[in-house]
Amino acid sequence: MATEVEAVDVKRLTPAELEALELERPDYEIKLESLNQWQLAWRRFKKHRLAVVGTVLFLAMLAVGAFGPIFFPYDYSVVPTPDQIVYAGRPPSLAHPFGETGSLQRDVLALVVNGARLSLVIGVGAALVGAVLGAIVGGIAGYFGGRVDNILMRVVDIMLSLPLLFVILVASKFLGGGSWYTILVIFALFSWQGISRLVRSLFLSLRGQDFVDAARAAGVGDYRIVFRHILPNAVSPIIVATTLVVAIVIVEEAFVSFLGFGVDATQPTWGNVLSNSLTFIPVGNWWWPLFPGLAIVITILAINFMGDGLRDALDPRAKD
Amino acid sequence: MSAPIEELAASAEKERDPNLLLEVSGLRTYFHVMDGTVKAVDGVDFALPRGETLGLVGESGCGKSVTALTIMRLIDTPPGEIVEGEIWFDGRDLTTLPDEEIRKVRGGEIAMIFQEPMTSLNPVFTVGNQIAEAVKLHQGVGDKEAMERAIESLKAVGVPDPEKRVKQYPHELSGGLRQRVMIAMALSCEPKLLIADEPTTALDVTIQAQILELIKEIQQRTGTALLLITHDLAVVAETVQRIAVMYAGVIVEQGTVEEVLLDPKHPYTQGLLSSIPGKQKRGRELSVIKGVVPNPFRMPPGCKFEPRCPFAWELCHTHEPDLVELGRADRRSRCFLQTPAGALRRPEFAAAAKQAVRDAVTGWET
Repeated sequence: MATEVEAVDVKRLTPAELEALELERPDYEIKLESLNQWQLAWRRFKKHRLAVVGTVLFLAMLAVGAFGPIFFPYDYSVVPTPDQIVYAGRPPSLAHPFGETGSLQRDVLALVVNGARLSLVIGVGAALVGAVLGAIVGGIAGYFGGRVDNILMRVVDIMLSLPLLFVILVASKFLGGGSWYTILVIFALFSWQGISRLVRSLFLSLRGQDFVDAARAAGVGDYRIVFRHILPNAVSPIIVATTLVVAIVIVEEAFVSFLGFGVDATQPTWGNVLSNSLTFIPVGNWWWPLFPGLAIVITILAINFMGDGLRDALDPRAKD
Repeated sequence: MSAPIEELAASAEKERDPNLLLEVSGLRTYFHVMDGTVKAVDGVDFALPRGETLGLVGESGCGKSVTALTIMRLIDTPPGEIVEGEIWFDGRDLTTLPDEEIRKVRGGEIAMIFQEPMTSLNPVFTVGNQIAEAVKLHQGVGDKEAMERAIESLKAVGVPDPEKRVKQYPHELSGGLRQRVMIAMALSCEPKLLIADEPTTALDVTIQAQILELIKEIQQRTGTALLLITHDLAVVAETVQRIAVMYAGVIVEQGTVEEVLLDPKHPYTQGLLSSIPGKQKRGRELSVIKGVVPNPFRMPPGCKFEPRCPFAWELCHTHEPDLVELGRADRRSRCFLQTPAGALRRPEFAAAAKQAVRDAVTGWET
């Protein structure tokens, strides 16, 4: 390890020799690679083992949702002939690894795979729309403050004080529930409040930061201050919160569909597949509820692990 | 005492001296907060000729930063409010300028350097991006040229390897380098006025000297006017030509650096000078100005410095002195000692002032 270093008395060197010495020395500071905050975050994220596992699982689930239906197509109108029907369904076998449902002999694997598509579209879609809505509302409230802030936050308070599930049930009933995009819109409308509170508090603290004052002193206008100076500094917590909202919406969608107020049975989601399985549980066909249930549990766990890792990785105060 | 209406109207109509870049008159900035009204700036007048330098000195909370922010119109309203006064800058009154116009002035014609270089840069952008943004806003040039200007201005403030530095993030730079970046940003649009609000307070002593030297050199090279805000008498003594001393929202004394620091005409200035630790005072307890800055909600009825002033008498308690001229329009003091009413007490003050100056000067020389 120890390398021989020739001792040099710097004080005795001539200026020319000193300069030569300077040139030999590598320029550490400039050679340091310049990492932006995303690269730094990725570095921290990689160290978080569970988060990486969660991300891989979640991406796998997204892939299943995106490409699975191509390999395991599902068509509601295809109905088996009476002689093919076994009342209680068939347990997992080589041909049907997740088994077959009771009554209509659906392939559970096909249901889970097709359900993944809709459940994830609703979960991710509603969370993204909610995040954008929340960022806009919270951003306006936090940046402008005063009366605007007061009005917007009271609206949020009111919406948060509503018993959410009942409101969603009623809304899906009246807005003509059954189609997946209605459900998505309903969930989006009820998932931005938490994010808007978060964004508001971020904006409140960020707008008082010196760099915002410095930007204003440099003549930057409100619009650019909000979108170029404040928002990028608030993006990390918004991302973390949004991932967690995805998980919440998936569970709530499953719950609402389970109660029969969600997407109708012509289009499988994890929730309505579970719901239909309910009557057959006493018959003992455990495979019907098990696999969509597992899909939900795995997805939620994966998202939560991912969110955890993101929170640690994106925390600006984190030190490597 | 506010001036009569006719007098105000007359001052608004009078021809402005085109040589004056900045003329602040009767400026009052109040903050309406829950417990009442804080008169942070309560009648401030000063003028700054083109290309000259003025130091605004005073302790924390005396209103010097608020004065600067008011000039930039960066006071949050509410709770802040510019209650009264005019800020003439290059032929326009900044207090009445529409937002659109004031935005062009900010950064373009008046640039500001802040106290905290560690937090005044946006952590998510490269420093090049941030300088280029200011250039693009005010000079209407494209991305590429703006970045070239950013590199140039970094070079001008003595940042080594500017081509590489523009690609770095603020957290990769030291405090001194960041302050240089702030100065580069401020100067990138060739402003007519540079406001430096405690530009060296957050830096360590060796860097302080470098940054002050840099500001001075750039001021002389570019001919921009400089308004330096600081609580450090040593800093103003080295950097500016003229001084205005602020106390509790008003200017108590103004003049050239030599006049104010070597021949103070206000007990507050004298107090500041005598609290500089000097050679003679070695081994003795440091002298301080007794008492504290008055409660902003309950300002003294008379002179604001009266409760702490060793020379005060009844008149000071009941009446507020004006900022009286001492021979010249730009040499003033807000003290009854300098009026006929204080003639008898003046020698006592003059002796104390002389002693304070003598001690302070020897202090600086060591």
